[in-house]
Amino acid sequence: MKDIAEQEVIDIGDMDVEAFNEYATEQGWSDGMPLFVPTEAKVAKFVETVRGDNRPYAPVPPRQIVPTVQALAANAVMAGCKPEYFPVVTAALRGVLDPEYNLHGTLATTHSCAPMVMVSGPIRHELNINCGTNCFGQGRQANATIGRALGLMLLNVAGAKPGEMDRSTQGNPAKFTFCFGENEEENPWTPYHVQRGFAPTDSVVTVMSGEGPHNLNDHGSTTGDGLLTTFAGGMSNPGSNTIYGKGPMFVIIGPEHAATLKRDGFTIDSIREELWKRSRVHLSRVSKENLVTYETTGHKPDGDWLTIGRDPNDIHITVAGGPGKHSAFIPSFGGTTVSCTRIAR
Amino acid sequence: MRIFNPSFGLAAAGPAKVTLQPINWATDAIALISNSKPNARELLEGVRAMLGAHRPVDNIHFHAKNSASQPAPKELIEKVAKNYKGALLALGD
Repeated sequence: MKDIAEQEVIDIGDMDVEAFNEYATEQGWSDGMPLFVPTEAKVAKFVETVRGDNRPYAPVPPRQIVPTVQALAANAVMAGCKPEYFPVVTAALRGVLDPEYNLHGTLATTHSCAPMVMVSGPIRHELNINCGTNCFGQGRQANATIGRALGLMLLNVAGAKPGEMDRSTQGNPAKFTFCFGENEEENPWTPYHVQRGFAPTDSVVTVMSGEGPHNLNDHGSTTGDGLLTTFAGGMSNPGSNTIYGKGPMFVIIGPEHAATLKRDGFTIDSIREELWKRSRVHLSRVSKENLVTYETTGHKPDGDWLTIGRDPNDIHITVAGGPGKHSAFIPSFGGTTVSCTRIAR
Repeated sequence: MRIFNPSFGLAAAGPAKVTLQPINWATDAIALISNSKPNARELLEGVRAMLGAHRPVDNIHFHAKNSASQPAPKELIEKVAKNYKGALLALGD
């Protein structure tokens, strides 16, 4: 390997924060919001937190460079992370570098997808990651900056500059940041990372290239069956990538909905099966032109229906959020996977 | 003040260099490969029709990725490399 023709360390003189932000914007390093200055001293503090993780990083597409830990830490500093968040961010980066995640495709696409980052295990509370009320929204430094740090890495290391390599037609607010924690304490089934084979005591980051959360509002249904009818109706979307891209999706169930489903005997598997069956899209809702395209590219309907994924296992389920009768559907880019990485500690 | 460059990295070792074989566009077999996005096939059909004005087209064949959003599978790339001297790719959208 040889060094990219750039300096690893740059002397910027006596810039104040405002001048640094102008400089960073000129360099193309900014997501548009103010940045913290990645001084050598700050970066060193972040690097210390991942000293035990010596696995090399794969080249990061589309730019195909191998990042240094210092460059990654510089992005986390700029995002406003605390040093102790950095192992979560690097685990998220390892997740999106899973070849099945298809980082190149998810960054260069015209689709609006952004990297969804979900944190599981004890580290959620240690870092004060919001798993409850407003977990997808504003208000917590960890949620806001961990997701932002990954976004900055994809901008600066991967090279996903909007309008250049990032060709998203409309983008998505989740491209600024999209990080939340599982609400394991109010999950009446099994936490997601345990579903994926990790120990309950493991701290794990799960990533998926997803759209922003689509709300599933149901204040009226008092049964699990009723809730699943509403959920499936919200998921049944002929405009979703997964109608032909076929890939994973998340249903993030609010704790009150989860309690009703559990009371009525539903399990993770039976919820998947029911949503799979009920969320199919009838061909009458699909344009003739699209049907021709799907047929010629190998996505034939099943009778009079198109499914929204390959099989029930494409529907990933967990619990997050606080009180209220809302859940969320997060469809993916399609040609991607849900990747889990244990946080090195 | 010194800062770390957030876009710094090391160049990955590139793939082995490939020596391209000469192609006779007037006679050799050609693969027309669609990225499976709308209109890619139409573009390729136009190319094939235009080539047909100058050469035989019985050894010019259509291929497509099985997903518009994912890289071409290794099997398709190997098949094209084995059976064709040239390939034309259409990126529809």
